[in-house]
Amino acid sequence: MTMPLDATRQAPASAGQSREADLAPAILEASGLTVGYGAPPPIVAGFDLTIRRGEFVGLLGESGCGKSTAAYALLGLARPPGRISAGRVAFKGQDLLTMPAARQREIRGKHIGLIVQNPRGALNPMLRVGRQIGNVWRAHNAGSATRAEEHAVEMLKLVGINDPKRRTEAFAHELSGGMAQRVLIAIALSSTPELLIADEPTSGLDVTIQAQLLDQMWQSTRRTHSSVLLITQETGIVANYCDRVLVMREGRIVEDMTAAAYRRAPRRSLLGAGNKAKTLATPGEDDQAAPVLAVDHVSRFFPVPGSTKRVQAVSDVSFDIAAGETLGLVGESGSGKTTVGRCLLRLIEPSEGRVLYRGEPLNTLGKTGMRRIRSKLQIVLQDPYDSLDPRWSILQTLSEPLKLHTDLSGAGRAKRVEELLAQVDLPKTVAALRPRDLGSGALQRINIARALACAPDFIVLDEPTSVLAPAARTSLVELLLRLQAELGVSFLFISHDLTTVSQICHRIAVMYLSQVVEVGTTEQVFRDPQHPYTRALLASHLDPHPEERRVDRAVQERLAGEIPSPIDLPKGCYLQSRCPHAVERCATEPQKLVRAADGRMLRCWRVLADELGGSDIPLVHDA
Amino acid sequence: MLLRYIGRRVAVSIVQLLGLVVVVFFLIRLMPADPVARLVGLNASKEAYAQASHSLGLDQPLLTQFLQYFGLDGRGGGLLEGHLGVSWVTNGSVLTEIGQTLPVTIQLLTLSFIITLLIAVPVGIAGASRPGGAFDRGVFVYGLFGGSQPEFWWGLMFIFVFFFKLGIAPAPLGLVNPMDMPSEPITGFILLDSLLRGEFDVFLDVLWHLALPTLTLVFILSGPIIKMVRQNMVRALGSDFVLYARAAGLRESTVTRYAFRIALAPALTLVGILYGVMLGGAVLVETVFSLGGIGQYAVRAVLAFDYPAIQGVVLVITSISLGIYLVLDLVYAVIDPRVARS
Ligand SMILES: Nc1ncnc2c1ncn2[C@@H]1O[C@H](COP(=O)(O)OP(=O)(O)OP(=O)(O)O)[C@@H](O)[C@H]1O
Ligand code: SF4
Ligand SMILES: [Mg+2]
Repeated sequence: MTMPLDATRQAPASAGQSREADLAPAILEASGLTVGYGAPPPIVAGFDLTIRRGEFVGLLGESGCGKSTAAYALLGLARPPGRISAGRVAFKGQDLLTMPAARQREIRGKHIGLIVQNPRGALNPMLRVGRQIGNVWRAHNAGSATRAEEHAVEMLKLVGINDPKRRTEAFAHELSGGMAQRVLIAIALSSTPELLIADEPTSGLDVTIQAQLLDQMWQSTRRTHSSVLLITQETGIVANYCDRVLVMREGRIVEDMTAAAYRRAPRRSLLGAGNKAKTLATPGEDDQAAPVLAVDHVSRFFPVPGSTKRVQAVSDVSFDIAAGETLGLVGESGSGKTTVGRCLLRLIEPSEGRVLYRGEPLNTLGKTGMRRIRSKLQIVLQDPYDSLDPRWSILQTLSEPLKLHTDLSGAGRAKRVEELLAQVDLPKTVAALRPRDLGSGALQRINIARALACAPDFIVLDEPTSVLAPAARTSLVELLLRLQAELGVSFLFISHDLTTVSQICHRIAVMYLSQVVEVGTTEQVFRDPQHPYTRALLASHLDPHPEERRVDRAVQERLAGEIPSPIDLPKGCYLQSRCPHAVERCATEPQKLVRAADGRMLRCWRVLADELGGSDIPLVHDA
Repeated sequence: MLLRYIGRRVAVSIVQLLGLVVVVFFLIRLMPADPVARLVGLNASKEAYAQASHSLGLDQPLLTQFLQYFGLDGRGGGLLEGHLGVSWVTNGSVLTEIGQTLPVTIQLLTLSFIITLLIAVPVGIAGASRPGGAFDRGVFVYGLFGGSQPEFWWGLMFIFVFFFKLGIAPAPLGLVNPMDMPSEPITGFILLDSLLRGEFDVFLDVLWHLALPTLTLVFILSGPIIKMVRQNMVRALGSDFVLYARAAGLRESTVTRYAFRIALAPALTLVGILYGVMLGGAVLVETVFSLGGIGQYAVRAVLAFDYPAIQGVVLVITSISLGIYLVLDLVYAVIDPRVARS
């Protein structure tokens, strides 16, 4: 990722590709582009870039480095009170910033399409989306309102929206994030632009939807030979779709290399580099011992206000966690991961089923019994700011569980707080600070320290790394691995970040729409995923591969459509509406979680009957 | 769906109104005031006082008075049958008196608000299109200037300039030439009635008489409404979807329309609230121009401790305000589909 510029330029394999691109004429050129929001320094400062015809260019940059500001500036726009104060943008050689407004308007939307980060905010909340697509089309093409409406339906169909006619009638707030993003893609592509600028088009979307969308974008722009500037923070996206990679830092481009060179640059990957074997402690092999925690057919539903229906958040989930083991719980948003985690600690009562702590059912425990066990079962939440009281110092925060569950004196507690801070690699001076003085990485460590205060056996980690920057994420994973080796605690690690999961978990449970569909060792699940959902989930995972891109190979394990609502669940197999392997029987027969010959648990009769064959995902590789 | 919503809102409004009437009924009677003395004079004999007190019903226990007012005492003719009672001062029906004064005010306010909106909307939008520009700053100064003086002052200034000095405005003595015989009202709104009768000369004459009071109100109202439109417009123009609409190459007029629709809803709320406030609050302008509106009637009723008239005015003004809020909510739901769902 930090390869020096000249070295990558010389990379032999990239030479052919880049020479070809060099020959193509430039579509968009920016030089010295500078945008500020009043107070200096400018957010975009001396931004240079060239995009050639037919190129798929990736722009990588961390949050806040000015990517979105630059994207609008390339169209000659800035969000008020921002202003483009210097620089030049040329579209096919014509200066975009100085040309008459009418000509500018023609280029925006007709020749350059834009997709932005927050699709629901970018759509007019008061107009039906069909009208909005039509309005953009009519601004650039001669045609009647009826023709525009037809065009809107065609565009929505093109970007893969089911039932496009009905969707044109929807308002932005009635769409899911994925669908709103598709509408934006439809708007951006409606006049077949020569250049598409996509600013984090899939941030906040689930991985299977992300892959669907990016595939579609790739296909439609290839079909029309359009160029693409894809702005993102995710290295995986860049590595899997782009021809050329730019890296942006503090408002300017600092690196420019071919994607092939970029992919070969050393970095972490799934099960990569064998570092897992070194750092992941093996849990107690003693099969006889009762698991620390056993989940036994737990379900949980929530009533829907003002209706007799209910949201099925968790259906019939069972698994065990051994001492010193980490079980990963993966799945897309809304699949029920968080609810499972909370049911384990009785923060939410299960509607059905039981949870056993060292063989003792938690649901029969009274207040005092539960209090005794509560100090042994802890939870760390996603947003470190939310879970800490901003008025309390770190010392107070960490002393509180000690006051509650131990009889340590004030001095004893202060000493224990020091120990805890040392355990999570923070200096003891932190004790005097308040949450607002700390970054999110450090705050998440405080949350972990608080969970560790009473020497627990088991901690639920609910997406603990998802709000952290990549560097903080890596060091938090290292910390968790070390703590487990030292203290022997068990973790339930909830996450949709498969890379992190693969680094930290012994076993993995995959959830889809309230059910567990597959449980197996990390090795089994990542090297040879069996359930169609697991296969698609892993195939959607955009991990950089040194040799090839996702778009260069035929991906078969792809899901269709959107995730059904947990209020109206499908009748038979829950995946049936999206599964590429579904047959008639799947639509009627509810699936049970059954143990397969190799020891893993699966919820798909076709896999169990060996009808699907091996997975063909060349995803996992040893770098 | 919509009808049910309206029905529910109206039902709630009626309950609110009844509650308000009850509260007002007892509150004014708790005031340390003596309406009888005010009526018969301080020098009146004990007998005259007692007789007056009896004829007003004030010698009865509070509860009996209350039942009587609502028409629950078996004799009928109370509020529940739509009677607002008889004014203690004029002996006329309160309902009739309000029916004469209210249209005057509504006519004045409606005309003023329409003109204000016709000015404020384009001016606000123009100011928002270049915030901090010369035009925007000019409008800001105007708002400060207009709002810094009370409305009766502006009214007097206009009379001084346009009537005394220039002589192009009529004397501030009501809506019609005092010499003319007023015709029987049809709706009570003189402008409307004259049109219905086809008397265009009367129509123009009334408009002429309304010019200065309307000008005064427009002058006062346009400041805050322009400011509101401008601010909402600035916010809307800075929002994501407007920026995106520009990036999609929509015409400037379409972009403005997108933004205006968002800016409209909060501006309408202000207009609705101001209208409700001005119903009772236009009294100064009404007085300066001797228009005889509901504001003047209310003040007269309060000064004379004319309880039935006070209660009637409160009831009528509040019901109009509640009606305006209901209409505003419906308009909201039409312009913003997000509201309709919730
Ligand atoms: N309207 C504004 N006024 C002032 N500062 C702003 C405004 N919009 C953005 N900024 C600042 O400009 C910087 C860059 O913002 P920008 O949205 O371009 O970053 P980004 O790289 O796209 O970030 P992310 O990955 O979070 O989307 C940030 O520090 C942000 O706080
Ligand atoms: S049961 Fe059928 S629909 Fe469900 S995952 Fe298996 S093959 Fe797909
Ligand atoms: Mg951004």
